[in-house]
Amino acid sequence: MIKVRNLKKEFIQGQERTQVLKGFDLNIEEGEFVAVMGPSGSGKSTLLQLLGGLDVPTEGDIVINQSNLSNMTEKERTIFRRKYIGFIFQNYQLLPTLSVEENIAFPLHADGSLTKKKNQIIIELLDSVGLKGLGRKRANLLSGGQQQRVAIARALVNNPSVLLADEPTGNLDRGKAEEILGLISRFNRENNQTIIMVTHDIFAAGFADRIILFKDGVIDQVISRKGDDYAKYVANFMA
Amino acid sequence: MSVKYGILTLLFLQKNHGYELKLELESHLGAKGKINPGQIYTTLDRLIRDQLVLSIGMDDQERKLYEITMEGKKELENWLLEPVPYHSTKEDFHFKWSCARKIDFEQEKKMLDQQKAMIMKDVMELTKFKTEFLLQGDENRYLLITGTLLHLEADLNWINQIENRNRL
Ligand SMILES: Nc1ncnc2c1ncn2[C@@H]1O[C@H](COP(=O)(O)OP(=O)(O)O)[C@@H](O)[C@H]1O
Ligand SMILES: [Mg+2]
Repeated sequence: MIKVRNLKKEFIQGQERTQVLKGFDLNIEEGEFVAVMGPSGSGKSTLLQLLGGLDVPTEGDIVINQSNLSNMTEKERTIFRRKYIGFIFQNYQLLPTLSVEENIAFPLHADGSLTKKKNQIIIELLDSVGLKGLGRKRANLLSGGQQQRVAIARALVNNPSVLLADEPTGNLDRGKAEEILGLISRFNRENNQTIIMVTHDIFAAGFADRIILFKDGVIDQVISRKGDDYAKYVANFMA
Repeated sequence: MSVKYGILTLLFLQKNHGYELKLELESHLGAKGKINPGQIYTTLDRLIRDQLVLSIGMDDQERKLYEITMEGKKELENWLLEPVPYHSTKEDFHFKWSCARKIDFEQEKKMLDQQKAMIMKDVMELTKFKTEFLLQGDENRYLLITGTLLHLEADLNWINQIENRNRL
């Protein structure tokens, strides 16, 4: 469903060229939850930006739902992004002075005014991320965990097929992180959303089906959850 | 600690006699406490029977000398490259890694990568259970798994630390 081929990205600043992504392939299935790990500066965020069409590769192809992002105009990419991609960031990136509802609805304004049906969607989303009744509250008055819930709701408001998360629990303590991950993996299961999450935290990566270890701009190792019998497994650990 | 692989590691470096093997095992390989000399000699006998080690005569002080065979080296390498499951009570990755370091094992990266992969698989598997136990309200099992996950995280951090230092 997502096909990456020979992906390369180079940044040029003045005389200096930095080769950040050095050419690799990657396939991600529809509905898969993938975690990307690796040292700082290894190109993880750059990869997410390219997958989300926020930036373009220097070389190579990204094909999502049969569309090749490399062949699109900037305008086409923007439309594509609105339709298919949701983003979540470490620092939430909410508009601080807007209300929770207004933040969640923000991506909807791009394609016209709020209809009654959309209001209904927002109410349901608020409920499903555990923020029922907080819709009118100003975003910057919420705790970090709550703000990330708003950001998740905003990312999901267009019902995107792909959710890209860059260190979504990086600012949260372990308990709050676990709640957020529970939420993300629930959407992954229930809506069959494909999730690609960059994280430093092995506790967070544990929620994924597959962990991609990134190093110096290429994939160093890919680790899939084993298909072994769960019961046997748990028996070993609980013995 | 495995006396068998400890001996193979030491013989990989040079031929040696039983008493020296015992002393080296006790000092270099982090063996806890003393090793019973009987254990060294029965292990050596078994290694000779399995053709992993040869008895090659006496040294100048009339002590029996032992030497590793090609099969012995192969056996050691296979063991080094076998990742250690978290719940393996008879094996310890720290010990295995010490053996690898002792012989400057050229496949150390592969060994570390495989151990890392095993840990991550465990983490992904356990996280599934953790979430289920949480949903079922099984607080005790949820906390037990969380404890195991913290250990696995520490193991992983240690391997990352080795890899970072190897890159310097
Ligand atoms: N817009 C940019 N211009 C120049 N260099 C950049 C830009 N974005 C990222 N980089 C560089 O690319 C490298 C990888 O960055 P990034 O993808 O953010 O890594 P990671 O998310 O793995 O920490 C870094 O060295 C960073 O400085
Ligand atoms: Mg980053």
